[in-house]
Amino acid sequence: MSEWLLTQIINYGIPILGAIVFLGALGIPFPGTIIVIAVGAFCRQGFLSWPLTGLIALTCVVLGDCLSYAMGFYAREPILRRFHGSDKWIQAENSFQRWGGMSILLTRFLITAIAVPVNLIAGTGNFPFRRFLVYDLAGEAIWIFGYGGLGYLFGIQWETVGAFLSNMSGLLLGLLILGVGIWLGLRRLRISTAIKESG
Amino acid sequence: MTPSRVRTLIFVLIFIGGLIVGFFGLRTLHAFREFGGHRPPPPPSVAEAEGIETDVELIREWMTVPFISKMYHVPPNVLFDALGIPANKNREKSLKQLNREYFPQADGIVLEKIKAAVLANQPQQMQENPEIPTPPVRPTFTSTP
Repeated sequence: MSEWLLTQIINYGIPILGAIVFLGALGIPFPGTIIVIAVGAFCRQGFLSWPLTGLIALTCVVLGDCLSYAMGFYAREPILRRFHGSDKWIQAENSFQRWGGMSILLTRFLITAIAVPVNLIAGTGNFPFRRFLVYDLAGEAIWIFGYGGLGYLFGIQWETVGAFLSNMSGLLLGLLILGVGIWLGLRRLRISTAIKESG
Repeated sequence: MTPSRVRTLIFVLIFIGGLIVGFFGLRTLHAFREFGGHRPPPPPSVAEAEGIETDVELIREWMTVPFISKMYHVPPNVLFDALGIPANKNREKSLKQLNREYFPQADGIVLEKIKAAVLANQPQQMQENPEIPTPPVRPTFTSTP
């Protein structure tokens, strides 16, 4: 998949890159990080102009994120009908209001695999759009210019950097799932201990 | 959620998380070792400033002939001639696609032919630090009385 996409980028340039990052932000599983690093290397080699490429990629990915936020926002009604007023829903909404900004920021460039679910949750959970946009813009700017910058810095050796960063993102996702599992397990243990002690 | 469901969820999360950590952990370690051997390349040399790449081992099968031509400063028709295929309609195809289309029996032959053609036709590598030409020493003529 990534090889085919790279061929399309060298053939059609910035428009195809914009389409890839836009669709990626909507949940199409494109290897976005690898693509961004490769494009940084293409800029160094003089195939693409980096300011224009960076700006267009950033605009497209932010538009994609806003659209997936909107999907969550408009799906809010049926979800609210089902869960509104329940303790779990209120708890989830409150925690997203508190931690949402950081989740949005970190999932743009560090744990990219869960960026789309976070957008949807932000939209559904009524996270203020302006705040969403600020965190999203900051995170995506780090992704585009930071990772693209690494590609630019390493030039033709971009494949090594790309492999390292993609695998690291997968590792962080695994650690997050493992962490949630352990946290839930410990919480359950604490609750059952407390029940035993009181009983 | 019933306690048994919560227990199952916790088990699944820990199991899947552990699998992902193991899988990507090993891959990250492997990539890190390779990455450790690389440093950012030095500031552009004269050749790179001119946009010329010289190492043919960096040619990949997803690249197209015009891309390689621009990267290595070898005219595209030279590369198409080396492959023995027309340039028309093949400019946007990757080396892999060309291989599949024109040489289905010989896997990787297009890549090898392109590497050989680039090596044979690349303009002479520019010197990193060309010496500053010094004017020839002019003989001094002394007039003898």
